[in-house]
Amino acid sequence: MYDKTVRRRRAVLALLVVLSLILLTAYFGEAPGGSLHAVQRGFLTVISPVQDGANKALKPVRDLFGWFGSTLHAKSQNSELKKQLAALRRELASRQEDEQSYRELIKLYHLDSALSIADYRPITTTVVYKSPSIWYLNVTIDKGSSSGVRINDPVIDGEGLIGKVTEVARDGALVSLITDSAVEVTAKIAATGEVGLLQPQVGEPGRLLMQLYQSAGAPVSRGDLVVTSGTISSKGDSLYPRGIPIGQVTSVNEQSAFKSINVSPLADLSNLDVVQVLTMVPGSPAAKLSGSVASLAPASPAEIEGEGPGGQVASTGGGG
Amino acid sequence: MSTTLRGSPRAGAGPVASAWLPGSLLWRVAVLSVIVVFVQIGVVSDVPVFGVSIDLSPLLVAFTGLLCGSMLGAVAGFGIGLLVDLALMQTLGVTSLIFTLIGYGSGRLRELRDPQAALTPLLLGAAAAAGAMVGYSVIEFLLGVDAPISFELLREIVVGTLVDTAVALPMWVLVRRCLIGGLPDDPRRRRRRTYTTGGLSPLSHSRGRLR
Repeated sequence: MYDKTVRRRRAVLALLVVLSLILLTAYFGEAPGGSLHAVQRGFLTVISPVQDGANKALKPVRDLFGWFGSTLHAKSQNSELKKQLAALRRELASRQEDEQSYRELIKLYHLDSALSIADYRPITTTVVYKSPSIWYLNVTIDKGSSSGVRINDPVIDGEGLIGKVTEVARDGALVSLITDSAVEVTAKIAATGEVGLLQPQVGEPGRLLMQLYQSAGAPVSRGDLVVTSGTISSKGDSLYPRGIPIGQVTSVNEQSAFKSINVSPLADLSNLDVVQVLTMVPGSPAAKLSGSVASLAPASPAEIEGEGPGGQVASTGGGG
Repeated sequence: MSTTLRGSPRAGAGPVASAWLPGSLLWRVAVLSVIVVFVQIGVVSDVPVFGVSIDLSPLLVAFTGLLCGSMLGAVAGFGIGLLVDLALMQTLGVTSLIFTLIGYGSGRLRELRDPQAALTPLLLGAAAAAGAMVGYSVIEFLLGVDAPISFELLREIVVGTLVDTAVALPMWVLVRRCLIGGLPDDPRRRRRRTYTTGGLSPLSHSRGRLR
């Protein structure tokens, strides 16, 4: 009798274990559309209403337990959340400062984008004529007003800024190089942000001298890049887009009250072949801004001295 | 023995062990299993305690085995496991296999050791919960479920075992109350019930007869 009971018990156990393993193997091996899956789905279909009813009936119980659980959980988290709140407040203060800086940068970015090269329409032209005299450092290009070229349009090449348009004809224009005495560029040291007026260096053709408006005291190193500042210093200036490379610092003069910097142009001004004129489409933001800035800018010293502002403006700023 | 499992029928080679799955007991186990599984799915699973859910089903299987013996424990474990797998759309056979072994083991514990300590349900509940979670993890890993062995899994097993242990005693009381009416009478339990329900002891009877 005892042996029979033991055998029956073991047989039942073995049967159930084997059945479980068969179910497991079959279920795991079959496709989602298989028979066991179908049985499972059918079972779920059958019990779903029952389960739904049970869920609704037991909802108050669940809510009660949930309320207790939530209360205990909330109490246990209270002190931790207070610490987190304090930390987040500190972080918020810091972030607000960052946000302010960010907004300022966004404004700056919009200004920058208004003056960037992307807002100009570059026209590629070929240099057809070069002045042989060192007194007139300019070149003539084969595109003129018929192509949209206007006076004061910046001119660049692959290296950087080379000058601006000073005379325009229908199918040609005169470009004054940055080493020409008629051209002044408001520039800045890219590394330090110091702004100054870049002019041809007297006595050294092909070299530039940058007079800094106000020295920030930051050291300027040899090799620092000089770029356009995106501003103008007088009414007749061209509003060069900001950030166009001009040259590199070769030396710094600190003998005088104003720091001056010797700059070597990046572009090979003696060997120009193909250049680009950054034209402004009439009515474009860049054209409007350029015109507005030119009209608001203070008069140049030449104008103040009565050197004929009309002529100055007519020759260099009329097309702004 | 001062602390005993009151109402637990003494087994060994007792009536339950020798009986072939009494029908009334089977019905009670079946109804209780369905109710517990629905309560588990509908209520208990939605109430996390310390980040884990209480699992009543391994406790039910273990206590069924402890009360009814290894054979009914194994059968109940298989059925409850199958019900859980079907209802939760899990891999069929996994929970059945684990619960079958838990039910059988609990029944064998009763048949071989006949533990009478009051803490037995607590310890058995903890062992059943831990065994179920470890077994489930092992089978899932063997089946190739992509889950890394991490501290989180260990924490889940430990905390889950502790939480299930905390509800083991109330669950034991419930299961015993539901099933004890279907269990064959045990001489010791019948004798104890006589004492605790106002009945007179043989001594008082004899005194009455003497008068």
